[in-house]
Amino acid sequence: MNAIGPRVTELLDELMVHSLRGFPLTNYGIFLVIALILTLGFFLIASRRLTLIPKGIGNVAEMGMEFIRDNMVFDVIGAEGRPYLAFIASMFFFVLFNNLLGLIPGAKPGTGTMGTTVTWALIVFVTYNAIGMRKLGVFGYIKSFYPKGVFAPLAVYVMLLELISHFIRPLTMSIRLFANMFAGHVILGIFAIFTVLMWNGSAVGKVTAILPLAMQIAMYALEVFVAFIQAYVFAILTTVYINGAVHAGEH
Amino acid sequence: MSLILPQFPEVIVSLISFLVLFGVLAKFAFPAINKMLDDRAAKIKDSLEKAEQTRVEAERLLEDYKTQMAEARQEASRVIEQGRKVAETVKAEIVAQANVEREGLLARAREEIEGEKKAAMAELQASVADLSVGVAGRILGTTMTKADHAALIDKYLAEVGSINE
Repeated sequence: MNAIGPRVTELLDELMVHSLRGFPLTNYGIFLVIALILTLGFFLIASRRLTLIPKGIGNVAEMGMEFIRDNMVFDVIGAEGRPYLAFIASMFFFVLFNNLLGLIPGAKPGTGTMGTTVTWALIVFVTYNAIGMRKLGVFGYIKSFYPKGVFAPLAVYVMLLELISHFIRPLTMSIRLFANMFAGHVILGIFAIFTVLMWNGSAVGKVTAILPLAMQIAMYALEVFVAFIQAYVFAILTTVYINGAVHAGEH
Repeated sequence: MSLILPQFPEVIVSLISFLVLFGVLAKFAFPAINKMLDDRAAKIKDSLEKAEQTRVEAERLLEDYKTQMAEARQEASRVIEQGRKVAETVKAEIVAQANVEREGLLARAREEIEGEKKAAMAELQASVADLSVGVAGRILGTTMTKADHAALIDKYLAEVGSINE
């Protein structure tokens, strides 16, 4: 059991961001690029295998798209959300493919590093604010944060809070996604270490190793679920923020 | 080494990756998928509408057939009723004619019988008269005159006739 400390340190070190020697990508970046190729490949193939009677890979892509379209974009924004569908769908599927790719043993999720999640959260931030500004003008959009018919000093205070909450959004979005992915891998790693150490430790350990192994399997199932949930959360937040910008100044 | 601080190369890679993904999928993949979803929805809506139309048409036809059926049945029972009436009329006519004929036959038979009876009566009268005169003469031992004969016969006949009548 005295070996557990160094092993966990080793695991955490492995999960840190490293530059790959002689390569411009980090250990996460390489899987990000693989996920990019997989996502592009999946949708480019699927979009050429569409049949009126749904089947196969085309059907999978359609179901995903239908979910984003009807249950996210149309439910939250309404029919005006159609122009933003491609953006939201890209976010959802790219995050999802990264999350799922990271679950393959030995692979890492491209979303398991702050570099990626901050960048994407900022893309969302810039996009939804740009939508708001294009609709109301730069000044009109900023003015929409100022509540009408409220006692002036209070209104200024509310506006300040609103602005702060908007600027915090990319931070909360990026940390939520990163932390979920990172923590999931730490947990999976730790139970893997437990299992191996118990197995190697003693004769009794060969029996009791079943417990951390069962836990490992349960956690793995949970992580698959988390991969979907976090992609959904990231995309639904994108949708909600875009909805706020589309309907800014209407209240 | 850093955990929470974004690394610049990753920012660049993830930025470019997303822009490439968005650019390619938004142009080459998503429109086709969305179009297929819309097409299918339109097709299903179309089929449902067509099915509804067919159903309405079928119901209309059924209603038509039912009406025609009822009409045909009515017509049939009317024809049967008519036939029955005609048959009854014919029957009544035949019966009436038979009655008339029967009455005629009966009357003629009665007349004939009457005639026969009268003839028989006349013959009997004559025989009875001669016989009675003979018998009476023999009993009385005398020959009665013609006037006596006549008176006696008339008296007798009156008696016999009143009984016979």
